[in-house]
Amino acid sequence: MISFTSFPTQPEDAYRTVRRYNDDEDDAMMDLDDENGPSSSKLTCPGETLTSSHDYMRGHGTYVDNDEVIASVTGTIERVNRLVTVRPVNSRYNPEIGDLVVGRIAEVQPRRWKVDANSRQDAILMLSSVNLPGGVQRRKLESDELQMRTFFEEGDLLVAEVQAFFADGAMSLHTRSLKYGKLRNGQLVIVPPVLVRRLKSHFLTLPCNVDIILALNGYIWVSKHIKQIEQEGELGFDAEAVYSNQNDRIDSSTRSAIARVANIIQILASHFIPLTDTLLLEAYEWTMEQDSDVKTLLQEDYGDALVAAVVSKE
Amino acid sequence: MRPPSPSIPEKEFTYGALKQNIRLDGRIPLEMRSPTITFGPELGWVECALGKTRVIAYVEGKMVKPTPERPFEGIITIHSEISPMASSEYETGRPSEEEVTITRMLDKAIKRSDAVDKESLCISAGQRVWHIRLTVHFLTDGGNMLDCACLAGIIALRHFRRPEVEVIGEDEVIHSPLERAPVPLAIHHSPYCFTFAFFPDSETSPVLDPSQLEQRLSAGLMSIALNAQKEICVLQKLGGVPQDTDEILRLVKVAVAQAKDLSDLVDAKLREDWEWRRSKVEVI
Amino acid sequence: MGSRIEILNEAGFRSDGRRQHELRDLNIDLSRHGEADGSALISHGLTQVLVSVHGPREAKMRSHTFHDRANINVEVTVASFSTGERRKRLRGDKRILEFAATIKATFEPVIRTSLYPRSQIDIYIQVLQQDGGTLQTCINGTTLALINAGIPMTDFVCAISGGVHSTSPMLDLTTLEENDIPHVTVAVMPKAKKVVLVTMETRLHVDRFEEILNLARDAGSILHREMKEAVLNRSISLVSTAGPAQLREKGEDDMNVDY
Repeated sequence: MISFTSFPTQPEDAYRTVRRYNDDEDDAMMDLDDENGPSSSKLTCPGETLTSSHDYMRGHGTYVDNDEVIASVTGTIERVNRLVTVRPVNSRYNPEIGDLVVGRIAEVQPRRWKVDANSRQDAILMLSSVNLPGGVQRRKLESDELQMRTFFEEGDLLVAEVQAFFADGAMSLHTRSLKYGKLRNGQLVIVPPVLVRRLKSHFLTLPCNVDIILALNGYIWVSKHIKQIEQEGELGFDAEAVYSNQNDRIDSSTRSAIARVANIIQILASHFIPLTDTLLLEAYEWTMEQDSDVKTLLQEDYGDALVAAVVSKE
Repeated sequence: MRPPSPSIPEKEFTYGALKQNIRLDGRIPLEMRSPTITFGPELGWVECALGKTRVIAYVEGKMVKPTPERPFEGIITIHSEISPMASSEYETGRPSEEEVTITRMLDKAIKRSDAVDKESLCISAGQRVWHIRLTVHFLTDGGNMLDCACLAGIIALRHFRRPEVEVIGEDEVIHSPLERAPVPLAIHHSPYCFTFAFFPDSETSPVLDPSQLEQRLSAGLMSIALNAQKEICVLQKLGGVPQDTDEILRLVKVAVAQAKDLSDLVDAKLREDWEWRRSKVEVI
Repeated sequence: MGSRIEILNEAGFRSDGRRQHELRDLNIDLSRHGEADGSALISHGLTQVLVSVHGPREAKMRSHTFHDRANINVEVTVASFSTGERRKRLRGDKRILEFAATIKATFEPVIRTSLYPRSQIDIYIQVLQQDGGTLQTCINGTTLALINAGIPMTDFVCAISGGVHSTSPMLDLTTLEENDIPHVTVAVMPKAKKVVLVTMETRLHVDRFEEILNLARDAGSILHREMKEAVLNRSISLVSTAGPAQLREKGEDDMNVDY
């Protein structure tokens, strides 16, 4: 029970805890100049005054009111020279140019696709930013416009790169590389986008014959490994293969490996642990050492043990 | 259809004027448009106008069986629907947010604040009670339809007379108005509603009784329903620009003073109408 | 109906053993629920509400978008078993529509919607148990869920109900007390000490109103501390697992920045 006025002294009730508050506020300004090194990441939450706007510039996650820089999200305070930002603990995906994203086609429109990419608005994939059949980079034709659904249909998954932003903040994607395009032979795992950090490469291959695409928007694609030679070998760029809706034949050991990796990602995400290549590999090896069944991974105590084992190694 | 927003020059001009405490219709910020009250030929028929806003309220009564939960109480229902007649932005069908607010506010101010004594509407317990039905028609939207509707509703209820009913044994005898004088409803108190509009710029002072343009440009409304006895019946500030408690209390005090004036005005009008009707009776 | 129950006895205790100004137990659970971007399960005493926030995301209907800000969509459902009397409320019920409109209008000036043009923020509220103060619980729950979803807001919004029994003001009313005495619900922004929402539906004298309004405003800042603590505790636990990598990454990126 909470109480906030001071009553005349009375014997404390043994059965419940009573909290009392004094009138003095602990609203002292947070002192940014007090440096304890970067390890002391300070948390803040909306409405907290961070500093004065005379000395600092406001960045993301803050706003200025009455000459004060005030936080607008919960997260860690970061300072780069005179710029103060608050990095939210959890938020939707905030796209940046060059980011790798996995998305799902939501709508086919004239000369463009709308792609759900876990962001504030649907992303847009222009017909002019996909690889057209015929291999060589060429202008789009009217016939391409008419057969847009043969490339991507509603519900198709694809991997793409953020190319630019429109005036209203919607992102424009492109798949003009053989690395990008339609996804098949695998399974999608959705995690909070903050758990995917920028890495040297977001295309991972685990030794168990499984490819992982760690997209920055939190959509993770786990699929059967495709050999590099097959991917880039033919210059002729086979439209049939790239836009195919048929899965290749996947043997049962690969299938269970894919399921195992997907489960590991889910466990790590539910414990809010950022995903990195080394971590995933370690986790995979740990589960193999335990010689456990794929489905036992989803038991809660097993997940806790996995997390404990992997995090301790870090 | 979303209402067309005011053009940018219109918006800037209005905001600029309001900042200097000037309103487009020449009122001072906390001044209400003086209401025009017209009574119809029947008792319980009132047309009320605040500037260009016009509302008709009509009260009728019939005898029904009471609900089993409340056998000793009469029933009051309020019907209000904003038709496209008031303004082209209203549609028939799904009620707009504004309509929901007005309907609920009327319900709270008139029905739930117990303005009308429901027990006096009982004819015989569990058998017959009066069902009083208040219908509010919105004719023109010139801003602040809520206050106008509330005013019209309460005047109509006070103006209404129901025929006298006598219970003799098992039978109910309804006396026609020619035999016995119809009786007024037992009104406990008369709540009047006052709406204030706040603007996005915190330096602009709030205005009482916003016009249509002011209402559309406002960033939050506060409605207070209170009676001349300084009792607040309903107060709602549902979101909008955050305000200091002192400011809210200041506006409540303004509303208190306004309620006193309005109450006097309504009393005078009702008396005037009654005198006029009495003079007519004598001529016949 | 409730007149047989003593609202405030001579010793100054209320029917559930609380003092006049004492608030009920506040329980907050901020763990993730399904696919929601942020959610909160909050209970004030026996009143319990689950709020989940989705967004900002693409609007389902293009007519509901604004070119300069995000649209906020609030949907409230009241469980039929939430009150003593089991009753089914339809979605089109005017009271629920008003309730949703109230919550939307409360959060519109607080959420920094201008950062997300053409998007939509969906707030789904499920009322699970009702024992007075449903509006206050919904507002507090929505604040927490929005913060949990990382949606920028200018401040917390803390709501509290209050009532007056003859002349003594009381805070955080139960259903029993709400049925019997005039009550107000006040939502405050604790930083500016400003009031976003005031609603009162029962007759009360102006002077009494002034008293309860000021009291509720002060009580709001107490709730603020509780809510802030819950948010920070949750964030600390998340950052502690996610933290090391964050710093390492930062160290690599910002080598040239002098700390």
